Amino acid sequence: MLASVYQFLFKYQPLVFEQGDLVWGSSRWMAVLVLAATGAAVYALLTYRNVRGYGARDRTVIVGLRIAALALLAVCLLRPMLMLKVAVPQQNFVGVLLDDSRSMQVADLEGHPRGNYVVDNFGSAAGPMLAKLSEKFVVRTYRFSSFTERLSSAGDLTFDGTGSRLGDALGRAKDELSGLPLSGLIVVSDGADTSETTLDTSITELKAESIPVFTVGVGEEKMTRDIQVSRVETPRQALRGSFLVLDVVITQTGFAGQTLPLIVESEGRVVDTQDVPMPDNGEAATVRVRFKVDESGLRRFKFRIPEQAGEQVPQNNARESVIEVLDRRVKLLYLEGEPRFEAKFIKQALEADPNIQVVLLQRTAAATPSSPTKFLRLGIDSPDELIEGFPIRAEDLFSYSGLILGSVEASAFTVEQLRMIADFVGRRGGGLLALGGRRSFAEGGWGGTPVAEAMPVALSVAANARPGDYFSHVAIEPARAGLAHPLVQLAPTEKGSLEAWGKLPRLTSVNPIDAVKPGATVLLKGEDEGGREQHILSAQRYGRGKAVAFAVQDSWLWRMHATMAPTDLTHHQFWQRLLRWVVDGVPGVVEVSSSPERVEPREPVTLTAQVGDKKYTDVNDARVVATVRSPTGIVSEVPMSWTVRRDGEYQATFAPSEEGAYEVRVTATRNGETLGTSVTHLRAAPSDREYFDPAMRGSLLRRLAEETDGKFFKSADTSGLSDTLTMSGRGVTVVEEKDLWDMPVLFLLLVALTGSEWLYRRARGLA
Amino acid sequence: MKRTSHRAAWAVILGAVVVCLGLTAQAQRGSNRQRGGGDERFQTGGQIHGNVPYDGRFTFVRLMYRGFGRGGTSWIHDYPRGDEHLMKIINAVSLTNPHMDGETNILALDDPELFNYPVAYMAEPGFWQMSEAELAGLKAYIEKGGFLIFDDFRFEHWYNFEAQINRVFPRAIWHEMTADHPVFHSFYDINSLDIIPQYFQNYGKPIFRGLFEDNDPQKRLIAIANYNTDLSEFWEFADSGVRAIEDTNEAFKLGVNYIIYGMTH
Repeated sequence: MLASVYQFLFKYQPLVFEQGDLVWGSSRWMAVLVLAATGAAVYALLTYRNVRGYGARDRTVIVGLRIAALALLAVCLLRPMLMLKVAVPQQNFVGVLLDDSRSMQVADLEGHPRGNYVVDNFGSAAGPMLAKLSEKFVVRTYRFSSFTERLSSAGDLTFDGTGSRLGDALGRAKDELSGLPLSGLIVVSDGADTSETTLDTSITELKAESIPVFTVGVGEEKMTRDIQVSRVETPRQALRGSFLVLDVVITQTGFAGQTLPLIVESEGRVVDTQDVPMPDNGEAATVRVRFKVDESGLRRFKFRIPEQAGEQVPQNNARESVIEVLDRRVKLLYLEGEPRFEAKFIKQALEADPNIQVVLLQRTAAATPSSPTKFLRLGIDSPDELIEGFPIRAEDLFSYSGLILGSVEASAFTVEQLRMIADFVGRRGGGLLALGGRRSFAEGGWGGTPVAEAMPVALSVAANARPGDYFSHVAIEPARAGLAHPLVQLAPTEKGSLEAWGKLPRLTSVNPIDAVKPGATVLLKGEDEGGREQHILSAQRYGRGKAVAFAVQDSWLWRMHATMAPTDLTHHQFWQRLLRWVVDGVPGVVEVSSSPERVEPREPVTLTAQVGDKKYTDVNDARVVATVRSPTGIVSEVPMSWTVRRDGEYQATFAPSEEGAYEVRVTATRNGETLGTSVTHLRAAPSDREYFDPAMRGSLLRRLAEETDGKFFKSADTSGLSDTLTMSGRGVTVVEEKDLWDMPVLFLLLVALTGSEWLYRRARGLA
Repeated sequence: MKRTSHRAAWAVILGAVVVCLGLTAQAQRGSNRQRGGGDERFQTGGQIHGNVPYDGRFTFVRLMYRGFGRGGTSWIHDYPRGDEHLMKIINAVSLTNPHMDGETNILALDDPELFNYPVAYMAEPGFWQMSEAELAGLKAYIEKGGFLIFDDFRFEHWYNFEAQINRVFPRAIWHEMTADHPVFHSFYDINSLDIIPQYFQNYGKPIFRGLFEDNDPQKRLIAIANYNTDLSEFWEFADSGVRAIEDTNEAFKLGVNYIIYGMTH
């Protein structure tokens, strides 16, 4: 209705005004004549000033109306017109890209799937949209999902594609139509682009070639009833027996206020269930789930909310993650500088953990002029291990994944050893755990040493930091940043966990730590007897590794104290989790990873390996080969080459052809000597990404259209699409001039101006 | 008349002595309670110093119990000099930082404080008796990781000792220790148990028996019994010349190893 009125008044559709350029069609003499006549008319009008009987206001109104009418006539005499470049019929091409992905199955077009709209309008030559376009253009139709191909018939549209690579589709159509007179590209989609990269590159290329993209958004921009597990971030790898705490983000519309269960499954077995109050519509709720990974291998975890009645997209109620659960023994060196019970109970706590090996180097007596330092070695693998005490060679120290420094003073090490410890964290990527004690931290003279740089706590180098200056009981509780950490979870719920912390006995500290480094995170805090807050457990990344400070001297009281029942294994659990965390992600000499994390069959996977020698010095001249074993046991070798970008970094690409779990074993050799081997797994499977964020993404489609000088249409109203394309100005065009002087609106305006003057005169008695 | 006044005088003196002794004993008990070292249930008498409060440092703990033997409270034999001498040696030869003179503790098995000290020593367990509360305390102590040293008993004393232990662990098996066990190598390498001195005359060789977690000698040693000998007697008289220096050294070596083992295993 509105469009009809508009077209009646202005003679043309709004589109014509948008696309056309305004020009004046009168000849030069006519222009001069009009200007002269206008000048004469204005002069005549000004003489009205001397007419008696008119007040100032009357003169102003009458002169104003008269001048406006004359100006309007003058404009019309100048013959305004719109100049348009209009596509020559059947001389131009149009590329139509139809979304053939799974998300087009979403039934949000008055209960019908989005795909129906595509099939009805574009699926065949008889489809109204395609037919209309075909009247003026040569139409090339493509379907796109994870790949793009020409559409030969409506039957090719299956709407079962597991991805939407819009950028690739635009590139493919652009390349195929290059060299042809192209009026533009039409994208018919819900905008659910699942590419790993943004559309920026595609848009830039289209702009460079002046190809406008006209987008047709199919579907609703807001869902009415849908629950979605929007995000869950899981580690790619975890040591067997590790306790994981993960945040699951849930969004919904239409279920606000209801409480629904979130179920965590591992290979079909339920490992955790939580009742989740649904947030307000459109809001996100974060749910913290906790579970232990007990079984080794490539494990699939599913986080799901059962399908609810009336849900539009039940497929996005669940998310799957794959975690590679490693069943290997990680070795830590624990140097304890004096006999004390902390060592005994840490060892005890780890006895039941098959994946953590703690080698205790217990210094029992100091060196004398006639005898060397005396050590007790426990948990060693060979009689020669640590035979001379703390390692003096980097390769020996770096063979451990973690290093625990007990109550041992900095002066017990040579400067080279101190640097080696710092390198152990920064270069080797090992985990360092510094324990409290009378010889630890500032009291042990560690301030100002290379190791102090790695530590998360600020160490004083003041001479007044002496053993014995400070002693206090400390009540320990989780710091804010620690609440979400697996280490701190003593009970299945956060509330229960906090209560459990409140019941633990106080420990003692001889190392006041009241400042941490800017990048450090405090997980546990304590209040000493003076009411001062102490940072009990803090951590920071340092180089490739991690450094942790645990500033108490007797965590064993959590096991031994009178208030702790013999069956209470809080201490064991704490230490198992603490040490797992300390060595979590510690790299080997060769470390391989694959990207992207989720891969579909036939999609390329990039393998990246970091290669070093025993001292973890990056190696660029190694021979690196990835041996890939497919799910059916087919073995292939993929040579990897140095990237040159980064020292020690090698890459290769392969495309899994089968669905299932692949094993990738990377071996690096140099001069016939094996530097190391690393194994990773990846699972190739159809993706369910299409079902997430299923509402039509109008913003993306609008941006694509606007930045390429195209236009966005909603599927409900695409009537102007063909005309818009016709006037896009691209391809083979002819120039059309459209007169504007005879627009009805101008005539009406002229009548209104002269009529108003007449009415005014009558009203004022001036006629 | 004169006789009467003599009697009165004796009565006054006797009364004064009784009052004084009573006041002294009361004061002693109060002091011990304050420092945590006294318990009238165990006939501590007036010869003990008080306990030191827990501060994270190693503290020698002597267990007190009900039961009498050898003419008095048997648990206290060789206290405090035996305990203090061993601590001096530990301090001298190792990096352990123990409390020393006048700073060793005496605790009962049902005392919550005991759990702050995972290594404890008991003398003359042949005379040891336990209440149910003490029994529960001992069981929890061992289950959580405590390590016990039993010393100074012989011959028929074993039967009472074993009976008491069996109250805690009914299926407990005491294994004969051999010199290759880690407890004999935790600080000093003691390669033969034959050289260990015998304190008691005419009772044969000392016997070392161990109680293991789950009765499995491959697992943690949770208690060791110095049967048929009295190491603390050597420790006590180390500064007196009563015993040969060589024998005393061997007794100290065992004591040091026990404690280092108890702190690391």
